[in-house]
Amino acid sequence: MTRYVLRRLAFAALLVVAVSSGSLILARLSPGDCVTRAGQSSGETERLRARYGLDKSIGAQYVDWLGRIALGDFGDSCLYDRPVRELVPERAANTAILAATALALATFVGIPLGVVSGSRRRGPLGAAIRSVSILFVSLPPILTSLFLVFICARTKWLPIAGMRSASVVRGDEFADLLRHLIVPASALALPLAAMFERLQSQAMSEAMAEPFVVATAARGVPRARIVWRDALRVSLGPVTSLYGLVVGTLLSGSFIVEVVTAWPGLGSLMLNALRGRDVYLVAACAGAGAFFLACGTLLSDLALGAVDPRAAQ
Amino acid sequence: MTRHAGIVTRFSALVAAIALGACGGSSTPAAVAPATAPARGGELVTALRTDPRSFNRLKAQDSTTDLLTILTQAKLVRINNTTQEVEPWLAESWTTSDDRRRVTLKLREHVAFSDGEPFTADDVLFTFEAVYDKRADTVLADSMQTAAGQRLTVTAPDAHTVEIAFATPFAPGVRLLDNLPILPRHKLGAALKDGSFARAWSVSTPPSDVVGLGPFVLTQYVPGQRLVFARNPHYWRKAADGTPLPYLDKLTVEIIPDQNAELLRLQAGQLDATVRPLGPEAYATLRRAGDTSRVKLLDLGLGLEADAFWINLKPGAFAGDPRAAWLQRDELRRAISMAVDRKAFADTVFLGAAEPVYGPFTPSNRKWYWEGTPKVPYDPAGAKAILATIGLVDRKGRGVLEDAKGTPVRFTLLTQKGRAPLERGATVIRDDLKKIGITVDLAMLDGNTVISTVMGSQKYDAVYFNPLWSDTDPALTQDVWLSAGTSHFWNLEQKTPATPWERQIDELMAKQVASPDEAERKRLFDEVQRVFAEHVPIVYFAVPHVYAAISARVANATPALGLYPILWAPDTLAVVH
Amino acid sequence: MRRSKRVGVALVALTIAGSAAAPLLAPHAPDERLPGRLHAPPTVVHLVDASGAWHAPFIHPWRLVDQLEQRFEEDRSRVVPLVWLARGSLVRSSDDRAAPLLILGADSYGRDVFSRLLYGARISLALALLSVTAALAAGSAIGGAAGYVGGGIDDGLMRATDFVMVLPAMYVALALRAVLPLALGTPAVFLLLASIFAVVGAPFVARGVRAIVRSERDRDYAAAARALGASDLRLLVRHLLPATRGFLAVEATLLVPAFIVAEATLSFVGLGFPDQAATWGTMLEDASNIPALADFPWLLSPAVAMFAVVLGVNLVLQDRASGVESIR
Repeated sequence: MTRYVLRRLAFAALLVVAVSSGSLILARLSPGDCVTRAGQSSGETERLRARYGLDKSIGAQYVDWLGRIALGDFGDSCLYDRPVRELVPERAANTAILAATALALATFVGIPLGVVSGSRRRGPLGAAIRSVSILFVSLPPILTSLFLVFICARTKWLPIAGMRSASVVRGDEFADLLRHLIVPASALALPLAAMFERLQSQAMSEAMAEPFVVATAARGVPRARIVWRDALRVSLGPVTSLYGLVVGTLLSGSFIVEVVTAWPGLGSLMLNALRGRDVYLVAACAGAGAFFLACGTLLSDLALGAVDPRAAQ
Repeated sequence: MTRHAGIVTRFSALVAAIALGACGGSSTPAAVAPATAPARGGELVTALRTDPRSFNRLKAQDSTTDLLTILTQAKLVRINNTTQEVEPWLAESWTTSDDRRRVTLKLREHVAFSDGEPFTADDVLFTFEAVYDKRADTVLADSMQTAAGQRLTVTAPDAHTVEIAFATPFAPGVRLLDNLPILPRHKLGAALKDGSFARAWSVSTPPSDVVGLGPFVLTQYVPGQRLVFARNPHYWRKAADGTPLPYLDKLTVEIIPDQNAELLRLQAGQLDATVRPLGPEAYATLRRAGDTSRVKLLDLGLGLEADAFWINLKPGAFAGDPRAAWLQRDELRRAISMAVDRKAFADTVFLGAAEPVYGPFTPSNRKWYWEGTPKVPYDPAGAKAILATIGLVDRKGRGVLEDAKGTPVRFTLLTQKGRAPLERGATVIRDDLKKIGITVDLAMLDGNTVISTVMGSQKYDAVYFNPLWSDTDPALTQDVWLSAGTSHFWNLEQKTPATPWERQIDELMAKQVASPDEAERKRLFDEVQRVFAEHVPIVYFAVPHVYAAISARVANATPALGLYPILWAPDTLAVVH
Repeated sequence: MRRSKRVGVALVALTIAGSAAAPLLAPHAPDERLPGRLHAPPTVVHLVDASGAWHAPFIHPWRLVDQLEQRFEEDRSRVVPLVWLARGSLVRSSDDRAAPLLILGADSYGRDVFSRLLYGARISLALALLSVTAALAAGSAIGGAAGYVGGGIDDGLMRATDFVMVLPAMYVALALRAVLPLALGTPAVFLLLASIFAVVGAPFVARGVRAIVRSERDRDYAAAARALGASDLRLLVRHLLPATRGFLAVEATLLVPAFIVAEATLSFVGLGFPDQAATWGTMLEDASNIPALADFPWLLSPAVAMFAVVLGVNLVLQDRASGVESIR
């Protein structure tokens, strides 16, 4: 077990380094640069170029960067004029909040609904859930975020744009954050919940047809208990096995949700960094994304191992 | 040649701010006169787009740093945006010598910095030392000059008098000092001596170290989120009735990167004032929302500058390009000026809230606008006729103009992505030019990329952008007019004037800067505008109205055209009680 | 066929037909700016006029009430009939100058949203189809080679595909697109995006093809073909790959909506097609101005169109894949 975890961590580290390196080189290759500004003396431009490593060749800058990250120095962002080490974690935390909330919402809405619709193949309730699911599965995050923002802009029910209000009172901050979190998290969670529902529904209806379930029912155990205890346990495998892939989807989806709802996360930071050719920031954002991905996949594989011992091989 | 930080400042400040609104203008502003004397106390919230690059105005010129300087620092004189004239500030009076080469300023007495230390002429000397210091490499070094390399000589005969000597007669005189915040020697002197001034007062400096003579002090900076300012208890200025200024207890500047988000917050009551001027689209959004009880919209009149279209006139820029024979000719630009319907332009780009404009200054620049600026009519047929005189004719009958060798008249127009007036303006230009047979390819790029292309590599065909005037007086924006100027956009920093008319402008400006007679200065500059209109290095189309928005809580605002319509006078802002 | 599946097929067919027939169905050209009609609302088709009289379908012109606020109101006094099958389009207004037919209103430049929607469908759908074809081709080649040859090559190829699959697709697409010059013409962007999407989509195809080829490789008919002297390549192409047909069909129907959404996302953030091109993504970019969106909801039409296409595809696929990969 430990060896497995260590191996996966090593793979994760490799992934992070590979992705960051690739992004650094790509960002360096793109036309334009971050340091040329109007009204700047040439001395200032040179000083800035040196500060952001642009006076070296790509190879030299890359090697230098590798050396520095070993010491914990990830370079400075030329767009925000701050060390990358400060900038990325706070944005990454925001994305993590968003993604975690969305995942929780999707799980606690999608899976129970899937259980219900999977165990009632023929009732109106099951059909209703299935229809709603199909609708939401067809709404990728870009569409859900646009529609939700539109609804909130018209009705003013919820705040849109940003993570916090300016004039927030002490002690009220958490509630304020939650209010701002509703729209982006829902936008991200809805299609995911629908997907979970579809999967769980399928797995559930297969589980319900298993011989042991039929036997248990014949013994007179109440139907609710069969559905929510026995069949559910057996049917969780497929969904849990997907959690790994889902992290990637969450990251991709969170990018566009962050842009539309102005949630200050990693995706919007990466977009600005790419647009502004901020080389070190691009590398760090890509690395952070890869890190999330690797951790997420590892955690989900461990969870799968816990839920379904057969898969722990 | 005065390389005033001016145009170039705002050029980059504009982009750095990624402001989506149009910028500054003038005419008679609607002053919000208080019924009763404003009461002391209260707080207001405003918003800007980006984090400050530094707390030291000498090292950074983005708009957030600029605003921070307005709030926390003071200068020797101030340009009152309502009158566009200079007024006493830290200097309570001054005398100018007849030859316009020396100014003697008398400083106010009993003025103290925000930490209580007294302000004396020595701080002025220190500030100039810092500006010119080689190791400090400040952004203001080039603007505190009257000509290339001609710095000001500053002396202090006593603790409350400063004498400034110009190397050559300089008519605007003290107006130059509007841009210079006076820094405290007791806080920054050591840094200047040991060569670390370039890094002094960077954004990681504790706010309590940022000491100044302005109405507020910085109390908190949360990167990416906000700057918080509190009243400076030692502020020297008092209201007419003797009440110590500023009225406000606290001023918060939120950092909101997106203009739409800012407008939403304004409507929701979370913001009290817009910092940068709003264009017609933003104004329309607020008006459609319709809640006039909460948000007051102020029309400041026509702006001070219009968006500018110019073609790369650098000699040799198109060497080897078959278009070199005609792309840089005056006739092409004159034809373009005639081919665009300015009225339709105003309607499409600015929702009708704009007026046609034909030169670099607009009527809002009351003192310097040339009333005789010729109004180019909308005449597509006339445009085609002009192009025919330089051999550009529709030879194949396909609606595309070509030269004698068959090269089609086609060029790429750069503009900034994400700024609606520029994007739409470029689209209208493209469509109107297509009607007379000129094909324009639009390239919408990031602001930084546009600037680095235009001012750095200078490899482009044409640009549509909006450089801002930092001052209404042309003598303070010489870096644009002079052929050797760093902001002479169409052909930067020429060693010798490339064309006779540029030489003519150089000569006129040289006289204009030195002439002691205001009427003569006006006459000379009218002549510059005449030459400009004849050779159209830059084509202008329409200038929009400029707006500002304040919440119902704001009292005693003095709205005026300029970079900061409300916050240019922060010490007299108050809250309705 | 179940009813929902029929609905799905109908939606997809409608979209394809609409985009193919765009020049006929669209009352205006996609980049034609109508002066004075910025953000004009959709023109309502009436049958009864203000005085209660019946007419052939007609519209009232929009009168500009406030230019700055872009508020319009119907000019009930004028009845402008519609003309059918005239001047090369199915239906238009009889007086285009004063009362243009705006079925879905106008955007911020005064361009007809409905026309742009139809023409935009062409680019968005064509891009998706081209990308899918490229992804299928590349994925089949990689997966086929890996599955057939096995061993080290199989391992290496699968690790590479794993790596690409694990990366968040949007980040990859973003980074690749941003590397290149931002201002490219529409055809260049088209090819570029198709290549990027093919790269991002191929691994999924490769995985599936490899699994199928590997299992088919050891079947009797394959052994028979080999015994008869078929070369490796011939065996792969003529016998094994055809077994992947079903999988490829499903994969294709999953990838098409994913690529439509990907184009929309990239264009929305400005890294896709240039603004002048009418695609669903650039139209959505126009709608990204939230205050304008609240006041001019017809700007969301491309979102509804995208939803319809994706829903259609999902309805068709219902009984098959469990919708797992329908979100990428």
